[in-house]
Amino acid sequence: MNDTSPNKQLAWVVDLNKCIGCQTCSVACKVLWTDEDSEDNQWWCTVSTLPGRGTPRDWEQMGGGYDADGNLQPGKEPTPADYGGGFDLNYDEVLYGASDGKQHLAPQGSREDRWAMNWEEDQGAGEWPNAYFFYMPRLCNHCSRPACAEACPSGALQKTADGLVLRDENVCTGSRNCVAACPYKKIYFNPAKGISQQCIGCLPRLADGVAPACVRQCPGRAVFFGYLDEEGSPVNRLVREWEVALPLHPEYGTHPNVYYVPPRLPHPVKEDMSLDTENPRVPNEYLESLFGEKVHGALATLTAEMDRTKAGESSELMTTLIAYRFTELLGPFQTDPADIIATG
Amino acid sequence: MPGVLSERGDRQREGQMSDQAAGNPENQARLTDTEAGDLVQHYRERIEWDEVQWASHCIDCYPGNCPMRVYKKDGKIVREEQAAVFPTVQEGVPDMNPMGCQKGAGWGRMLKGKERVTHPLKRVGERGEGKWERISWNEATTIVADAMLDAIEEVGPESIIAPSGCNSPNRGNIMGMVGGLTMDLNAEMNDFAPGQYLTFGMFDPVSSVDDWFHSDVFVIWFSNPAYTRIPHNHYILEARYKGADVVTIAPDLSPSAVHSDYHVGLRPGTDAAFALSMCNVVVEEGLVDEQFVREQTDLGLLAFADEPGRFLRTSDLTDGGSDQQFYAWDTKTGQAVEAPRGTLFWGEVEPALEGVYTVEGKDGPITVTPVLALIRARLNDYDPESAAATTGTHADTIRLLARKIAAGRTNFLGSLGNAGKHYHGDLMERAQLLLLALTGNWGKQGSGVRAWTTVGLTFAPVGATSTAQMLDMIEAAQDAAIEADPTLTPAIFLVEASRQIGSTGMAFLPMVPPVFFWHRHCGYDEIWNNSDWHDRSMQRPFAEYWDEAVDKDWWAGVDYPRAEHTPRVLIECGGNVLRRTRGGSNVLLDTLWPKLKMVVTAEVRMSMTALYSDIVLPVAAQYEKLAFGIPSTHTMNLTFCDRIVEPPGEALHEGEVFRLLSEKVAIRARDRGMQPYTDALGTEHDLASQADNFPTRGALEDEEIQTDTRLRDGALAGTLPQDASLETIRERGYFRWEDLGIGARAQAQATDPKPNETFVPFRKHVEDGEPWPTLTRRAQFLIEHPWFVQADEHLPRHKEAPKSGGDYPFSVSSGHNRWSIHSLNITNNLMLETHRGEPHVVMNHEAAATLGVEDDDLVRLYNDQGEFFVRTKLSSGCHPDQVIMYNGWEPYQHKDWKGANDAEPGMIKWLHMAGGYGHLKYSVLQWQPCPVMRNTRVGIEKIADQ
Repeated sequence: MNDTSPNKQLAWVVDLNKCIGCQTCSVACKVLWTDEDSEDNQWWCTVSTLPGRGTPRDWEQMGGGYDADGNLQPGKEPTPADYGGGFDLNYDEVLYGASDGKQHLAPQGSREDRWAMNWEEDQGAGEWPNAYFFYMPRLCNHCSRPACAEACPSGALQKTADGLVLRDENVCTGSRNCVAACPYKKIYFNPAKGISQQCIGCLPRLADGVAPACVRQCPGRAVFFGYLDEEGSPVNRLVREWEVALPLHPEYGTHPNVYYVPPRLPHPVKEDMSLDTENPRVPNEYLESLFGEKVHGALATLTAEMDRTKAGESSELMTTLIAYRFTELLGPFQTDPADIIATG
Repeated sequence: MPGVLSERGDRQREGQMSDQAAGNPENQARLTDTEAGDLVQHYRERIEWDEVQWASHCIDCYPGNCPMRVYKKDGKIVREEQAAVFPTVQEGVPDMNPMGCQKGAGWGRMLKGKERVTHPLKRVGERGEGKWERISWNEATTIVADAMLDAIEEVGPESIIAPSGCNSPNRGNIMGMVGGLTMDLNAEMNDFAPGQYLTFGMFDPVSSVDDWFHSDVFVIWFSNPAYTRIPHNHYILEARYKGADVVTIAPDLSPSAVHSDYHVGLRPGTDAAFALSMCNVVVEEGLVDEQFVREQTDLGLLAFADEPGRFLRTSDLTDGGSDQQFYAWDTKTGQAVEAPRGTLFWGEVEPALEGVYTVEGKDGPITVTPVLALIRARLNDYDPESAAATTGTHADTIRLLARKIAAGRTNFLGSLGNAGKHYHGDLMERAQLLLLALTGNWGKQGSGVRAWTTVGLTFAPVGATSTAQMLDMIEAAQDAAIEADPTLTPAIFLVEASRQIGSTGMAFLPMVPPVFFWHRHCGYDEIWNNSDWHDRSMQRPFAEYWDEAVDKDWWAGVDYPRAEHTPRVLIECGGNVLRRTRGGSNVLLDTLWPKLKMVVTAEVRMSMTALYSDIVLPVAAQYEKLAFGIPSTHTMNLTFCDRIVEPPGEALHEGEVFRLLSEKVAIRARDRGMQPYTDALGTEHDLASQADNFPTRGALEDEEIQTDTRLRDGALAGTLPQDASLETIRERGYFRWEDLGIGARAQAQATDPKPNETFVPFRKHVEDGEPWPTLTRRAQFLIEHPWFVQADEHLPRHKEAPKSGGDYPFSVSSGHNRWSIHSLNITNNLMLETHRGEPHVVMNHEAAATLGVEDDDLVRLYNDQGEFFVRTKLSSGCHPDQVIMYNGWEPYQHKDWKGANDAEPGMIKWLHMAGGYGHLKYSVLQWQPCPVMRNTRVGIEKIADQ
């Protein structure tokens, strides 16, 4: 399947200035979609602290996606250790006397090479007092040009008319080509089932008009959802009109549909601890390495609009990002899941 | 079936949702792609449900009250999701949806965790060995009841101790039944705010979280809401978008600081100096809100100019004059005038805020000056340049923030009583409050400071007749008191009455400050007597202050247990003393535990305390019983949790656990022919006579009736909607408070809630001039108690933290973590997957490098109090002088089962034993010493992996 341009494109906009790294989206997704034993290491939605190696570990060095000419790039499949997690804990030994010595409760096994979905939580970079970090929620980007679909030998992945990238698990043969091809490494191979799995945009919820769990359950009210082309919708205005929401690693060439409002951290301080209001705390080059050159314009717009409200003026952009009503975040997917009964 | 909200085709959407959910079907999205149809069906099979019920989580999560829905299939929990049903309260303020967090979103998984206790267990190995035998409820309650009766006969009922915990219904009943001692919750949890108490006469102001949105300046100070206020943090960031300046004052670049406009990375423990320096700027630059200061505070009252810490009183002017009548200097008439006690308003009088004056005293002329003038002189020590050096910040930052705070509505978020966890936390809070006072920043939307509170709901169901009688009785007493002293307000009457209850032991909530238990029976006398770990300005040995406080009867009526009351039985429920007690599990295990013949813990999970118990009783968790969140103004809502599944194994509702135990105590007392006895407070107990009087209804029936009664009591008292009942809350999931009730803490909020406004306390003080429950009836910055004067703390100031633990290079910061509520979720395997799966200490990476320590290394943190082992997590956001040990970890998650509290001495500040002065008097949850642990000193060394 090549560069399909769907009639409509569903999109997520994550405001990194509102994400507090609480992992509610991760857990909401986990208990909904990857709750089986064989899916222990699968977190379709994750939140990592940046800068960092992320999850799976060093995913940005694993290739995949397209080169500048639009050719599929070879990619590497993460090892189980790169995903990490799936801890085996010694509850019986500690709590129920199943050992003679005094063990403490902890993940068992070798510490060498240990990793987890959120291993680098709150570590960040820089030097105190000018350290910096922020949170980066990631899920399948439901790319407009999905490398996973192009790499799939069996046609199990399709780009739907709503812009979702969906896997037909009955067609999937477990080739894992998609895992290697996805430059975001958001596809997980399930050895027990012999298939790969990834975010499905909470498809059956959408079919009932219910927003995805990661959106609807975000207590930070940080995630907007909806159709990118729907004029006047928050995702449309944030991405297209104000251009303050940008895709992650646009250079990967897959045209992702999860967009991020870049972070504005507190002013740094100079050597004498006085405020440095001239320079940003997060190096511009770092943000550019994530979001491309457009990040400068996005930050300039964001800064200008934040300055306007600080001066007592009004700003439509700020009003949109505030989202006075929770339902503004959900796009047209307004149905309360309690109002439907999902039976098989 | 009760509680089922949703069945296909017949469910009506709740009225309150109509304005925000998908009211208009034309707006409903439907996927356009028909090809996806089969896939929809394929994936839907994984998440199908057939039943939905209301839920909330974890009463110990304050403020909690997140309305959730639990989805079930075939009677089993499939998942849970935030309900997101709150309407807009005030136009122009974001709604509260969708309140919840990752712990709540995964709660169903915790119910099935391996740490879950499902059957009554009897220890068969050594304490802590984890060797158990399953026994019956009858056997378990018999063993515990006999141990209690032995303790009563051999020592006295005061040897039965209950550390406080949340969610322990009916434990209070059994403690009252036998005359045992329940330890005050606030000291146990260390959530007291002593500086707020000293200033306000109560510690509990709490605005609703949506009120934060109104702030012009939002200061995150002593808190980390990105961890601890996951459902509410958005209000801070939305206020930032609305134009507020968000400031985080903390040594580390905290997870909250990254979303701020300004981060003040001050040196650990210098917060008071920073606040006082801002006060200096406000005063010196003429930015003081003078009318606010005159009305709200004692800063306009006259004090002796030449004698530290003494207000001018009528008793200084005339023989036999009142010692509770204070004065101001009226600049209009040029004379000292009486400060009204019944109102904060001055009428025609304009109290001077500066100058030195002479009044004719009974023994000759007295030189007096307003309290603000005394403070202003002290503020000279905190000019921005000096304070910048003290705090490791910059003078320009101090000036900038001071001007912003003076210009706008300013809100200090100090979650719960976090400043109070510092040795000099009272000074830090008094400095903060001085800044708020000088800038007119309380009692207005978007302003103020907060602690924690409970309002609205009676904790025991009493029924319509009793509720009406109780309300009448209180109203009559209130009217009589106000008639006798017209300067009293209902709030002051209730606050003062609660102080009386505390001292006479007549409480329906009988608690005693645990300081006496710790000092006399747990080994703390030795720790607290170490002068090196106290402030250097403590002039006498701690023991002398202790003896003076006891000898002068400042704690009369609550100074139990006495030395002769050797503890024999410890009953833990809804708490985890071996995890949380400052001073450490080892201190308790070495000193207290050998004295205890019976340790019984009622728990949902195998906590550290449960592991060291003789009997463990399994209790139902949320989803397995009817429950509410803690009633508080924080969210202004009371949220309901239904009984969604049956408890596992033989677990029972706590109320039923203690009902069974009470019944067994009575039966066993009768069987052994136990005679009536009198406890130390003079109450008579006849246990044997109660053997035949216990209700026999089943737990579920009781639970439903009790819950319904509580809600109807609330409706009668006017705190809940008139139609409040179990049936109506099952329809709506929550109620918004209509009023706060007649409790002292509720009245001390001094604001009547309005249905369409965010809640902010202290409005009656500001708008109506209602006086405060302090000695001077105003927010009081001058504390005349001789100990305070001797310590030079009669007025706000900064003091360096003592080196508790010894002279070691690092200062320990702490705070609640992101991944659990206290220790409740800390061993849950799902939550463990969201971090490194075991405890860690955060260190600055450069500081670590000097010790040869790398990320994820095992290190030993040690001082003269103790040691513990933990893995490192290196972060450049951590201040080089500090290490951060987030709390909540079970000691048994650390090597050798030593938790961070093993290195925390748990010092108390000697001044907090003071009494016999004005409002410095114990009442439940209020004025009392609380052990501290922030700024404990530790050394760090790398340990080779085993």
